[in-house]
Amino acid sequence: MMRTVEVLLVIIIITAAFLIASLYAVLPQPRQVSPLNLRRLALTTLQTLDVNYDLSKTVFNETDNAAWGKLQIALSACLPPNIVYNLTVYEVRSTEAQLYNMMKSISNAENLGVGSDAASYLVASSNVTSQVVREKIGEHGGGGTLYILNCSDSNGWWITGYTAQKLAEDLYNLLSPYFQAAIMVQNTTQLGQLLNGTKISSSAYENVTNAVVINTLGEAVPIPSGYYASTGVGYDSVQNSYARYCYALGQRVRQYNWTFASIVGYPMYYVCNTGLFSTDQNNWGIYGMKQVGAAGFNGFLRGLDNQAYSYDSNWITGEPGVVYLSSETLNYCNYYGIYPSPYHTSTRALPTSIINTYHLTVTTYIFSQTSNRLPGAIYRHAPSGGFLALGLARTPDIRLTALGLLCDYKPRIYRSEYTVAGTSRLIILQLGQVGGV
Amino acid sequence: MAGATIDHLVSVTVFIGAILLFISLFNQTIQTAIIYQRHRYIASKCTDLLDNMMLNPGYPMNWSISGEDPTSFGLQDPEFTQYRLSPFSLMRLDYTSGTPVYYPKTGQWYSNITVGFGQSLLVPYAQAINYSTAAKLLGVNNTFGFSLTISPIITISISEVRTNPLKISVNVLGTGFPLANANVSYCLIIVKATGGDGSYPAYTLNYGTNMTDDEGKTLLDFPSFNGEEESFVIIAYAHMSGLVGVGYHENVRYTESYVVPFVADFENGTILLAHSWDVHEGSNPAEIAYNATFILLTEDFTLREMPLGVGAIGKINYGEGKPYQSVNISTHNPGILAITYRKSAVESGIVLMPWGISTMAFPVEFGGYSAGKEWVATDTRQVLVNGIAYQAKLALWSLEGYQVIS
Repeated sequence: MMRTVEVLLVIIIITAAFLIASLYAVLPQPRQVSPLNLRRLALTTLQTLDVNYDLSKTVFNETDNAAWGKLQIALSACLPPNIVYNLTVYEVRSTEAQLYNMMKSISNAENLGVGSDAASYLVASSNVTSQVVREKIGEHGGGGTLYILNCSDSNGWWITGYTAQKLAEDLYNLLSPYFQAAIMVQNTTQLGQLLNGTKISSSAYENVTNAVVINTLGEAVPIPSGYYASTGVGYDSVQNSYARYCYALGQRVRQYNWTFASIVGYPMYYVCNTGLFSTDQNNWGIYGMKQVGAAGFNGFLRGLDNQAYSYDSNWITGEPGVVYLSSETLNYCNYYGIYPSPYHTSTRALPTSIINTYHLTVTTYIFSQTSNRLPGAIYRHAPSGGFLALGLARTPDIRLTALGLLCDYKPRIYRSEYTVAGTSRLIILQLGQVGGV
Repeated sequence: MAGATIDHLVSVTVFIGAILLFISLFNQTIQTAIIYQRHRYIASKCTDLLDNMMLNPGYPMNWSISGEDPTSFGLQDPEFTQYRLSPFSLMRLDYTSGTPVYYPKTGQWYSNITVGFGQSLLVPYAQAINYSTAAKLLGVNNTFGFSLTISPIITISISEVRTNPLKISVNVLGTGFPLANANVSYCLIIVKATGGDGSYPAYTLNYGTNMTDDEGKTLLDFPSFNGEEESFVIIAYAHMSGLVGVGYHENVRYTESYVVPFVADFENGTILLAHSWDVHEGSNPAEIAYNATFILLTEDFTLREMPLGVGAIGKINYGEGKPYQSVNISTHNPGILAITYRKSAVESGIVLMPWGISTMAFPVEFGGYSAGKEWVATDTRQVLVNGIAYQAKLALWSLEGYQVIS
């Protein structure tokens, strides 16, 4: 009998142990086990309400403005019925001891239940004037001059829908803040002066060496008449071709350490000068232009690499089709605030083989490399000279040229203080769930 | 001696029984805790997976409009950041709830979103992304099942109060509240059965704006239009404080033969225009003439017409030897393809197809079925699809069972 009593005592002890353990082992409620992510829901609700900056406008209104009523209706309409909310708007101060000053609070419930979560959203007034200071390329020495070929005596090709002058103007607006001097090359005579190493403006900042030269004429490149169109300098009398001029251009690029930019298509496929070629056309009916074909760019590369001139008409570009901006370029889109389409069609992509053949280094991949093709990149030649080539199908997007150059030179942007007193509002949306367990 | 033995036997039996009982009880508690932990994990996974779908465009980034199959799954609009979804990515999802449609003249099956007569989106399965592919690309194949529902936040229901002259009631509701004092922009498209070139139908577009009352309702009067005589469709956009919704209502005079648009090619925007009898059969089929146009939604919530090129007008007949027609939408800006059709001067109608899911606020249901699953975690986000407010809801469950002892 004693043993049975002992066993009963053991059972009582184990029961007590179980009850005590159960008391402490409190299992969570289903809502806590599988919670709705109220923080994300709150954030996405605020983003939805601010899609056209409606929320940003509303929170800068006086607290008795009717827009607050509309905001409350919109908030109630877009949240599920089992969600209660409290939206509080704070004015951000920067000069007083209290950083946040509550302006207005709207809610659809007395309390938010046992569990709630919140998201914050900072908006700025449209009246904010924030100053942006851009670092100038060349301000720490070494070049800093941008030349944009805006030659009035030259026609463009493969810039369909634009004129070279319009493209030049847009490029000027985009890039001039980043250069010590941005100069329009107004005609081929000025281009000839540049090729001779002579300044063409009165700007103290103009520096012919280490400059960036952007050709806005697409596949055509302007040629000065006279010396640079003469036999043995710009004209190959044996082949009856101006490919020799492209060779001379390559030599000048190396000599002055220029970065020569071709904005679209096959670089230097034509040479143009409406005076020099007034009776010639480019085989497509555009007068003032002569076709040099693939020999033009091959000549340029030989000139850049300081090789002896020879006429080479081999077509070197390929058609990779749809190409995508490189991850580096995509990052810089946000930094410089330039947003071209992330994908384009490339029909004139240069082969990677030119890197070894002409002793080049790719310093910036504007587009990702596809197979053995480079749809858009900046190439540098050691010790000097370089070029940007965008082998895209027409119509040109000059934002790509601008972005490519900025990615390569990486000028910094200094932004002024943003949270100026009275110009920022902090919005807190707190959500709670009602009903259920 | 016998008493001691019985005492021993009873005590040992009771002790063993009690021990087994308590082991079972403790085990039960531990099992429950482990299952709760697994549920918690599913909930975390649900949040992560939903963000993964909403915050990346997939790869290639333009898979929604290029017609390519993605090698990474994501629904974000590649031209935006945050929770903005591509209206074309959503178009390419295999719609779970729709009854597949077979079109014999192309020999293909089509994923089907139909919300009413003449309001459908038919995408070939060959170009639609199915649940299995998406699960593989998301890395949850055979481990988790999911169901993604993307539905418009704002519901606009439109009904006819009176047909002659036409008076329309527009009721704007959010998910939790009527949208009071919201601006309503609308476009009334009236089919002119005899107004087009030759025997082709024409249409007129009439724009207007109004504002909802405290109950989210408004009445639209068209004093010079008799809704009993001509087919029409009204498309209304309601917008307030960033929330934008779309609704539509149509009244068609003739439904025995009509045009059924099929998406044929996303990259080129090719739409096949089929005769309804070849798709759904029916009674009294007849040759019909049609006139197709593309309508774009502008930023100020007005609709702008964009003429289509070759194939914009034509005739289609049913049966063998009668080919379908096609038309190309040359833009990847979202809009509505409106196709007016007529059999005779008094028998006409109009059908609509969204180009980009948002322009007609079509819902999207994609994924598997959660019925019978032990635990389904859900999570919700507010998203924008081409400016239209939607709610994205993901339901996730485990496919690996819920036992705690393998």
